Amino acid sequence: QPRKAGAEWGTPGSCAHEETIRSLMDLGFTEDQVIQLCEGASSQTAPLSTQGLSTLSTLTTLGLNPSSILRVLEKCPELSRINGNQLQQRIDSLRKLGLLEGSLQRVVSHCPHILTLTPKRLGTAVRFLREECQFTGQQVTEILRSAPATLLEENRQLQYKFQYAYFRMGIQHTDMVKSGLFRVPLEEIRARHVFLERLGVYETPDKKGQTRIINPKLKDFLGASEDFLTKVARASPDEFEVFRKLLTRELEEEKEGQEENSDS
Amino acid sequence: KKWAATLPRITSTKLALQNFDVNYGTQFGERWPSIRVSLLSEQKYGALINNFSSAQELMKGLELQGARDFVYEARARTWSPGSVGGKPRGDEELVWSSSLAAGQSGSEVPLSSQVGEGMEMAAATEPPSLSPNIKCFTFPKGDITGFSPARLDGSGLLGYYLLDAASVLPVLALDVQPGHTVLDLCAAPGGKTLALIQTQACWRLAANDSSVSRTGRLRRILQSYIPREHSTEDRVRITSFDGRRWGELESNTFDRVLVDVPCTTDRHSLLEEENNIFTRSRSKERQTLPLLQSHLLLAGIKAALPGGVVLYSTCTLSQLQNECVVERAVQVAHEELGVTVHIEDLSPLTQLFRDTFNFAQGMRLGELVLPHLTSNFGPTYFCKLRRVN
Ligand SMILES: C[S@@+](CC[C@H](N)C(=O)[O-])C[C@H]1O[C@@H](n2cnc3c(N)ncnc32)[C@H](O)[C@@H]1O
Repeated sequence: QPRKAGAEWGTPGSCAHEETIRSLMDLGFTEDQVIQLCEGASSQTAPLSTQGLSTLSTLTTLGLNPSSILRVLEKCPELSRINGNQLQQRIDSLRKLGLLEGSLQRVVSHCPHILTLTPKRLGTAVRFLREECQFTGQQVTEILRSAPATLLEENRQLQYKFQYAYFRMGIQHTDMVKSGLFRVPLEEIRARHVFLERLGVYETPDKKGQTRIINPKLKDFLGASEDFLTKVARASPDEFEVFRKLLTRELEEEKEGQEENSDS
Repeated sequence: KKWAATLPRITSTKLALQNFDVNYGTQFGERWPSIRVSLLSEQKYGALINNFSSAQELMKGLELQGARDFVYEARARTWSPGSVGGKPRGDEELVWSSSLAAGQSGSEVPLSSQVGEGMEMAAATEPPSLSPNIKCFTFPKGDITGFSPARLDGSGLLGYYLLDAASVLPVLALDVQPGHTVLDLCAAPGGKTLALIQTQACWRLAANDSSVSRTGRLRRILQSYIPREHSTEDRVRITSFDGRRWGELESNTFDRVLVDVPCTTDRHSLLEEENNIFTRSRSKERQTLPLLQSHLLLAGIKAALPGGVVLYSTCTLSQLQNECVVERAVQVAHEELGVTVHIEDLSPLTQLFRDTFNFAQGMRLGELVLPHLTSNFGPTYFCKLRRVN
């Protein structure tokens, strides 16, 4: 049974203003969605204020429908504390990076946190990908499109992942982008890679890019866990599970060993 | 850290891996990758309990941690179900034969044929005897918990010895009985020697290893596990001879002979650069290993009493160092010494340990523990021979 809107709106800190309500309705939100917005806002530190309202209208302008907007705010409540102008600037800088209509909306719905990046921080992340990792502009756009969360990672973390893929696994830039490598956490990549390497079915290409065995396609490598096990590794889930545990311990011990060395 | 900078030049461990990929890839086919990943990952240990230390409390502690004595469990499997039920620790030896005979003849054999066939069957399927004094704890399949280093008890003895749990199998298969005179031909550093002493059945033990420095290590290990009065010179004799000479030194002498030969030590060769037998400078030595191994086994056969048991074991997967060596030695013993040697079926024994170890299927001769990530023990090859005359 839908609650009566008026009952909730008397509480302090919530959007009690008639005007706000009307504006929300104007933006196309239904009564229930308005209630949801207000409750969501009251549980946050900042109430749904004029600022929140401008956020909503900016997101509407972007072309997101009310229910997507609600989902976006649920995933990333911080957004309601960013004012409309700033948000607009951030959206614009994403456009400038080559995100076309459609992709842009998909990226924001999928990874709203991308909008928590100031244009400056976004620029730094992009520069990092271009200069340190040597991706082309187009490749950066593709990374942004297919794995936006990459841009949110710490540079050090990102560098490590890139270097792991490039040097340790011998993967070329185009393949990294195409295969969606950046969507997969480093731990998972590493566990699968070392597993395959020890099974003898993956080999790092030499300087000329040659291997003595045929490496599995990266697409299959990074696929669903069951497919990875049956098609690529040909191992049982039990084996992989134990392997993961062993590898985690190995890496921890390695790290401790390094720390000890640098201490002395 | 840049990955590029750490790419290694061709190392001995890498040479070993290349060699294994070729040879074991052919030998094991589709099973090789699973063995390979296990060899390259952390191995699992067993804790061989030192009965001379205050072991009871220690074992309780290990059980609390989730470890279990797999030898005890295997032995429990040999008690017939139903008739007498699970036997408590300690008096199992006595109960065995009687409970077994009763249980066996009752099972599925029609009454009319029971007397004749039942008897035969009982003889054929009599469970292997397992020393009640060898206790070895491991963590269950898939559990990667490790053991903490052994500690000294009140009397200054270490509570357990950590080893590849599969190395206990050759000692169990050797089946030392009270009063036996035993030879451990290649004994250092001494894990199996220690297990032999734990049986408290070898009344005289000759522990030999051609390497003086390694016999030194063996001596020190025994000192930290065995009270002096149990390792006096008349009971445990440590020597540093070339084992190949044993046939001349003391032939027809021992009830039991353990021939745990030097081999390519597969796991070690894949992981450690130091002392690696795949170093190019040692290739001659490596290539002549099978010859050395068969000479050692032959010496072991000569040293055994007629009727005595010789146990050949290695820690390699290589057929050339396992089955082929056994075949060769048996052939030479027959042709050149007129000594007949029988190879005993170990499958009743391995049956009992299926829950703990991953045994290779369809072995022509002897048994082989294959490393598997969920039970990462071995490789351990062992083959039991009985000298007939
Ligand atoms: C696999 S290790 C034995 C491990 C030992 N049985 C244990 O369980 O701890 C093989 C040993 O054979 C010894 N060895 C090598 N050549 C030998 C020879 N000709 N005679 C006797 N021992 C030899 C090596 O010094 C080495 O210690």
